[in-house]
Amino acid sequence: MIESSSILTVLTFLPIFGVAVILLLKPFNSENDLNIKVVANLTAVATFILSLVVLAMYDSSFAGLQMKHELNWIPALGVKYFFAVDGLSILMVMLTTFIMPLAIASSWNAIETQVKQYYIFLLLLEAGMMGVFLAQDLFFFYIFWEFTLVPMYFLIGIWGGKERVYASIKFFLYTMAGSLLMLVAILYMGLNAGTFSVPELIANYDLYSSAQSWLFWGFAVAFAIKVPLFPFHSWLPDAHTQAPTAGSIVLAGVLLKMGTYGFTRFNLPLFPEASAEAAPLMATLAIIGIIYGAILSFAQTDVKKLVAYSSISHLGFVMLGIFSLNEIGIQGAILQGVNHGLSTGALFFIVGIVYEQRHTRELSEFGGLWRAMPMYAVLSLVVTLSSMGLPGLNGFVGEFSILLGSIGGQTLGASPWIYTAFATTGVILAAIYLLKMYQGMFMGPLDNPKNQSLRDLNGGELAIMLSFLLFIVWIGIAPSGFFTMIDASVADLVTHMQPAIDAVVAANGG
Amino acid sequence: MNLFGLAPLLLILPLIGVFFNTVVGRRLVAADAPSGEKWSGWFATAMSGSAFIVAVLIFFSLPTVDYHAQTVVLWDWFNMPSTDFHVQWAMYFDTLSATMLLVVTGVGSLIHIYAIGYMHGDKDFARFFTYLNLFLFFMLILVTGNSYLMLFVGWEGVGLCSFLLIGFWYDKPNGVGILNGDAARKAFVANRVGDFAMIMAMSLTFWVFKTLEFEGVIETALHMFEEGGKAAPISFGMFTAEFQVVLSAITVLFLIGATGKSAQIPLFIWLPDAMAGPTPVSALIHAATMVTSGIYLITRSNVLFEIVRETGFQMAGIISVPDLVAVVGACTAVYAGLIAFTQFDVKKVLAYSTVSQLGFMIAAVGMGAYVAGMFHLITHAFFKALLFMGSGSIIHGMEHGHHHLHDHGHGGHGDDHHDDHHDDHHEDDFDPQDMRTMGGLWKKMPVTFGVYVIGSLALAGIFPFAGFWSKDEILAHAQVNEFAIFSFINIMLTIGAFCTAFYMTRQIKMVFFGEPRHEAAVHASESNRLMTRPLVFLAVLSVFGGFLNTPNFSEPEGYGSDYASEEKYEESGDHSETEAILAAGGSKTTFTLALEHWLEHSIQSFELTEEGVVHMPHTPIVLQYNVAVTSSIIAIGAILIAWFLVFRGYPMKPEDDDPLQAAPVIGTVWAFFQGLPLDSLYMNGWVKRVFLPLGEISNLIDWDFWHNFVHERLIRDTFVTSADFFSKVLDPLGVDGAVNGVGKSLRNFANGLRSTQTGNVGNYALGLFLGVAAVIAYFVFAA
Repeated sequence: MIESSSILTVLTFLPIFGVAVILLLKPFNSENDLNIKVVANLTAVATFILSLVVLAMYDSSFAGLQMKHELNWIPALGVKYFFAVDGLSILMVMLTTFIMPLAIASSWNAIETQVKQYYIFLLLLEAGMMGVFLAQDLFFFYIFWEFTLVPMYFLIGIWGGKERVYASIKFFLYTMAGSLLMLVAILYMGLNAGTFSVPELIANYDLYSSAQSWLFWGFAVAFAIKVPLFPFHSWLPDAHTQAPTAGSIVLAGVLLKMGTYGFTRFNLPLFPEASAEAAPLMATLAIIGIIYGAILSFAQTDVKKLVAYSSISHLGFVMLGIFSLNEIGIQGAILQGVNHGLSTGALFFIVGIVYEQRHTRELSEFGGLWRAMPMYAVLSLVVTLSSMGLPGLNGFVGEFSILLGSIGGQTLGASPWIYTAFATTGVILAAIYLLKMYQGMFMGPLDNPKNQSLRDLNGGELAIMLSFLLFIVWIGIAPSGFFTMIDASVADLVTHMQPAIDAVVAANGG
Repeated sequence: MNLFGLAPLLLILPLIGVFFNTVVGRRLVAADAPSGEKWSGWFATAMSGSAFIVAVLIFFSLPTVDYHAQTVVLWDWFNMPSTDFHVQWAMYFDTLSATMLLVVTGVGSLIHIYAIGYMHGDKDFARFFTYLNLFLFFMLILVTGNSYLMLFVGWEGVGLCSFLLIGFWYDKPNGVGILNGDAARKAFVANRVGDFAMIMAMSLTFWVFKTLEFEGVIETALHMFEEGGKAAPISFGMFTAEFQVVLSAITVLFLIGATGKSAQIPLFIWLPDAMAGPTPVSALIHAATMVTSGIYLITRSNVLFEIVRETGFQMAGIISVPDLVAVVGACTAVYAGLIAFTQFDVKKVLAYSTVSQLGFMIAAVGMGAYVAGMFHLITHAFFKALLFMGSGSIIHGMEHGHHHLHDHGHGGHGDDHHDDHHDDHHEDDFDPQDMRTMGGLWKKMPVTFGVYVIGSLALAGIFPFAGFWSKDEILAHAQVNEFAIFSFINIMLTIGAFCTAFYMTRQIKMVFFGEPRHEAAVHASESNRLMTRPLVFLAVLSVFGGFLNTPNFSEPEGYGSDYASEEKYEESGDHSETEAILAAGGSKTTFTLALEHWLEHSIQSFELTEEGVVHMPHTPIVLQYNVAVTSSIIAIGAILIAWFLVFRGYPMKPEDDDPLQAAPVIGTVWAFFQGLPLDSLYMNGWVKRVFLPLGEISNLIDWDFWHNFVHERLIRDTFVTSADFFSKVLDPLGVDGAVNGVGKSLRNFANGLRSTQTGNVGNYALGLFLGVAAVIAYFVFAA
């Protein structure tokens, strides 16, 4: 399949092509930067369409990597230019290409300064994230991984809120510092094994297995910061509250998933024994995150911060699913990553709509918006319910699979249900903080005069909301197609890990 | 006649209604209220009515397939090919779900019609009917789902609708809207506590039985019980336990789920607040249908509960799960019954009464009397919907009277003053629901009065009204059983029955008799026919509903009457004779025990013997004359006592106390129950005392300590200070090498960043950078 061999390369660099076009547009710059916006939007949509082609070519019954594009890059070090996709990444790729056009479109009226740079950074970010999800060579992956920081740094630092500089530097340094150990781990493995290619490393497990416990943590810390897993979350509220709306959508929608993806792509298959040993600790941190994030979320009066903290809670579920180390939990976790991207992305968009009009996000400033903006209120309700895990919407599908997986958790000790029980309290807490938000914004009398003249959704906003809702409902009522896409690869992963899991279980006297 | 292919219509029709009212109905009402309301209301009603017709067709189709359960698969929901986790969207029809279908769509349709009259003039008329149809949709998913997971979809969905409808008047002025929103939120959260248990129960169920479908679970459960007995080992992951322990866990979690949805101790606190919703909602959701889901859930899982009973496993060595179910129900029945007669709000009395009656049903299913529980569920749906809608009619009448009073100066009352009658009646703190402002309404509202009395008699269990038969069947079950716990339940339920008759009589006396105690009561008027006709219809059902399952008045030959005879049935070995008699009895006595015979196709009765699980015939209880007589005497006694005791002085003003409060013993009990801050327990107790402080503390830890102190002060400042030290002290001294090199390169990096900033943020950045590296190093090496 010659065509397929380079399609992932095209997919990754298509946004860069868009950047080039925008740069060339300079002489024709119109007053309101219309052409830049059009090019950026078209690029994102074209990328999405191309990703649909990838999806059509994707063979969900095949467990391993497909559509490989593998070239020698730095032969002396064994570094490869290596793109491929499988069940662990296909949904992440689709999520990226789906969220980006929405994020870009949502900026149409919101961004008025330095428009050109703004869209360039967004498109660069898309290319970077695509590379993260498609690269199958550790060195190659690391480059993309670090690369994503740069556009996000500028997006927050230039177009963010009042404390944007502080937030952007914190975001940059925090996540980059976390990655340094991963770089050391990558170099150690690659130089030892003479290859950085993930499949080859897995095949040469013996060459680095003795060092796997610290290698595991080298990767884990980098990913845990990105997720963010408690207690590495301190950068998140700053970044989210300061980022522009599109930045928050991408941050919550895709960027955080790079962390959870990293665990499934690298930690589990590369270090199966260390993963099995770390599972109780990781699951415990995940559960602390679920409960802690939820309580913090409840305590916020700034709506955006409330949503930001809810991410910590939701991502806790994803981490719990991954470290239940069975098919149901991991599949649930991957899908829940997508769900969180949709629901929380949509929530940030919702906050953005009202912020644009009122320039405040304080809950006490709102109330009774239902009366003023009925369409907005109803669609927001559906998104809120999806985030809350109402069955029939997407959140429940992921959450329930994760909880189901965790109770059958393979290395979570003799009473895995304790983990499940604590995690399930997150379901109650989600209702408490999200309903607080919903009631605060939409219910009660419409007595603040500033709110009485708010306009309801315009056509563009409605289209973006409906795009989110399409998948929120689709995954909610018919997720089996999505599960089918990831099933074979996840089953393969668990089979690969099973001997290590059994060994750890036996060692712990299970 | 096999019409199961029509089943998807049950879900499609209400959804059409939802879309119609969201898209079209809203605009029609906004454009022209009178005709728009007709379209909106009657379209929703037509959808509900059509669903009822489908339900009837399905009901009559069941005999044609020999009462075998039918599954109609819609599409795949969860499917992970590499695992056993496979759940479909599929509808499941057996006699139990068909019964629930009829109740839900039948009573639901009547309430739709009533609501057209009740909601007349509300500016959110179309939104109301959107919610009603949405509720119907989810309720139908709940009762027709073929798996626990699909039941749970309906379970949460009706909770959502309940939230939306309790908070329907979310923007009423004077803080009322906010209170309504609080009540809605409280209901949702209390239900979520129950849902927590449901999720845990389903997770366990899946790993034990490898399926979530009712049929599969029941079959596997019986099989496992037969093969391995009560101590059969269950293991998955690293978890191992005995069958009886796991099954007890599952069933007790189902019980917790049921206490949330069906408002039992300790989660019942949300239901009284739920009365903030419009009255048709109280009738439909909070009396007739949604709140009975818990009873449906337990009846649906009857085999699991019966296996637990058979194993005799006692949790913590104290009580078995089915007994706990019965005790929870019985305690709730009495507790709520006692609270009910301290209430002055006409709807709150009914709310606590509902809690109490749900307690009766839960107690029944806990005793294994599933049919009796379902029977009471049905009759209760009739008379409690009737009473709630009756109370709505009273409130409407009072509001009318109040408006009349207000508009008296400028020309009578009419529809033009009606427009926002739901919004502005708080202007002078007049509460149209306070029974102390009523009195003498029987003359003003004769139809409402008539049907209300019928409903009350049915509720109080007076012969021959519906409630008499169903409540008696439950009491009889408590009576004939030999287990010690049943006598406790018998006593509790009898007290509950006394309370029921008492508080209803008190309410009727306060509302309808005596002199009007407020000008509004003087001018109250009968409600329109849209509202009263459904009431009359339900009144008829409340009178005759008991004949659904009239007991045998004497023991048929060879027919078991109590648990002891089951042994005889087993001992005799040859069952053909008994079965012949049963079959004959079944066909001969079609008039009696119709519901019992109907439901025995869904509710299994079995016993574990040496040969394995043996399915047993149902052994319905014949009419227990002593129970019937005792309970009748108690009910009539309660009515008489209430009649002569309550409000002989008729308090004139809302502030007046009930004379009972001064009575010696009753007064103390009264003070106790009225003093319980039940309504505010959630918002003022849990939220204010626990959750808000918890949030504050977490914020303190996360923001002030972790974010500001650790990250900013410790890590950043330490670095900035040391960087200053290096650059200002060591650097000039000529210290080269590592320090200098590292410092320079970092400085360059910082300068790069500095292009977008001013001041010493660069120092900060450096500090954070190295600090975080230190933290991470710590975590790595400590791990």
